[in-house]
Amino acid sequence: MQDRTIRRVVVFFFVIAAVLVGVAVQAVRNIGQSIASGDWVNHTHSVILETEAVRSALLVGEGALHTYVLTGDARDLGACREALSNVSENLDIAKALTRYEPAQNGQMIQIESLANQRADFFQGVMAARQAGNMETVRAMLSADAGGTAIRDIQRKIDNLKNDELALLTERDTASYLHAQTTRWTVWTGVVLDGLLLAGAVWLIRDDLAARRRANAALQQANDQLEAKVRARTGELGSANARLSTENLERQWANQALEHQLRYNHLIVDSINDLVLVLTKARNISRVNPAVVRLTGREPAELVNQPLSLIVRLAAARQGAEAPLRDPIAQALSDGRDLRDQAAVVEDKRGRQTPVRFSLFPLRDQDKVVGGVVTLQITPPKADATPENEPSG
Amino acid sequence: MKRHILIVDDEANIRDLLSRFLGGAGYWVTAVASPAEALEAARREPPDLIISDLQLEDADGLEMIAKLKEALPDKPVILLTGVLFDQKAVNEVLKAKVTCYLEKTSTLAQILEAVQRLAPTSNV
Repeated sequence: MQDRTIRRVVVFFFVIAAVLVGVAVQAVRNIGQSIASGDWVNHTHSVILETEAVRSALLVGEGALHTYVLTGDARDLGACREALSNVSENLDIAKALTRYEPAQNGQMIQIESLANQRADFFQGVMAARQAGNMETVRAMLSADAGGTAIRDIQRKIDNLKNDELALLTERDTASYLHAQTTRWTVWTGVVLDGLLLAGAVWLIRDDLAARRRANAALQQANDQLEAKVRARTGELGSANARLSTENLERQWANQALEHQLRYNHLIVDSINDLVLVLTKARNISRVNPAVVRLTGREPAELVNQPLSLIVRLAAARQGAEAPLRDPIAQALSDGRDLRDQAAVVEDKRGRQTPVRFSLFPLRDQDKVVGGVVTLQITPPKADATPENEPSG
Repeated sequence: MKRHILIVDDEANIRDLLSRFLGGAGYWVTAVASPAEALEAARREPPDLIISDLQLEDADGLEMIAKLKEALPDKPVILLTGVLFDQKAVNEVLKAKVTCYLEKTSTLAQILEAVQRLAPTSNV
């Protein structure tokens, strides 16, 4: 979009520049033509002035000649000669001015011819008067058709003057037309350039508006993106905080569990009575230090061994009154306690210690998974009998 | 201004976990291991809340709490212990000595709830 606009603006300015150059060229050309027209006007006026000067000099010469004839004064002779000299000079100038105008130049030659004839007549009269030949002078003057000759010259001059005035009018018209053309050319160029400039301004304005819209859209997109990033960062922060809290909770729960476990072990291990944990198959899974002390067996020797390795109920030991099924197995199967039974513990060396036996089933979600046996060392009672207590 | 909590427990990992958790919740936490350190810390910067274990290495937690209460009679005390009392014991024995009793098996969220109740802070 940017390149296209720049290209358009550049094209506009090139066109504007071209129009300006065209207008300038046309204006310069017209100015040149106007100057030429002005020269033509001046030239025409000069031709008219020079021919008028010829007429005037001839009339002055005519007057001076007649005065000289009457007075014979040398000053009048000088004046006549000066007038003739002026006629000749004005004719030369007029011819030179009309040398590029064949029609006018032809007319000038005719005027010159008539003027020369008149000048020759003046010379002849002046020569006769100077010689004092008054008769000749009188005869020449009488024979002269002076008025006719002067009128011919004046008519020729008037014709030339009329032609020059006609040309002057024609050249004035041409000059006016040139000026009009220049005026129209300049104003057309100005208007065209104005329109082109307005177009360029409109293009630039349109481009700026488009850029502003694009910037606004970009800014909006950035704002939305930033908002999303902020929201996402917030979510991540919250998730991180939640995870940290959960992690701490887990660590706390683990340490609480470990603490509780250690505390429970400490309690169990501190009990002076023998405590054994059984599987449902009546194998030993855990013992407290009191068991180790009484049996002389290390926990490793007892774990996974049957309870009967170290403990026997009195009823089972007596044999004759032993029930059909092991009461411990029966109690575990039934899920009931077996309390305060007479029993003996046999140590590693075969020595027996009488104890009071109690069994408490271990339940996990209402299912008996094993049992806890506690053995309280007491002197054996001679008439002790096993006693079953329902678990309630 | 953050509320000041004094934690007394002889187990370092409990002190560390509680300090991190309550610190993250916007509290200023001082954690010590012994009653002597607790009394010194309370003297130096009186806490807004005391959290103490029951069984400490060189003294009984309740005895230490009694001493602290002499100096700070209005400050609430949470007894946080792994010794599990039954509810009757709590009602009859502990209520007179501590403001709140919590087992160490309580979750951190439960502990924070009790802390916020006893020492509310706008930062939480």
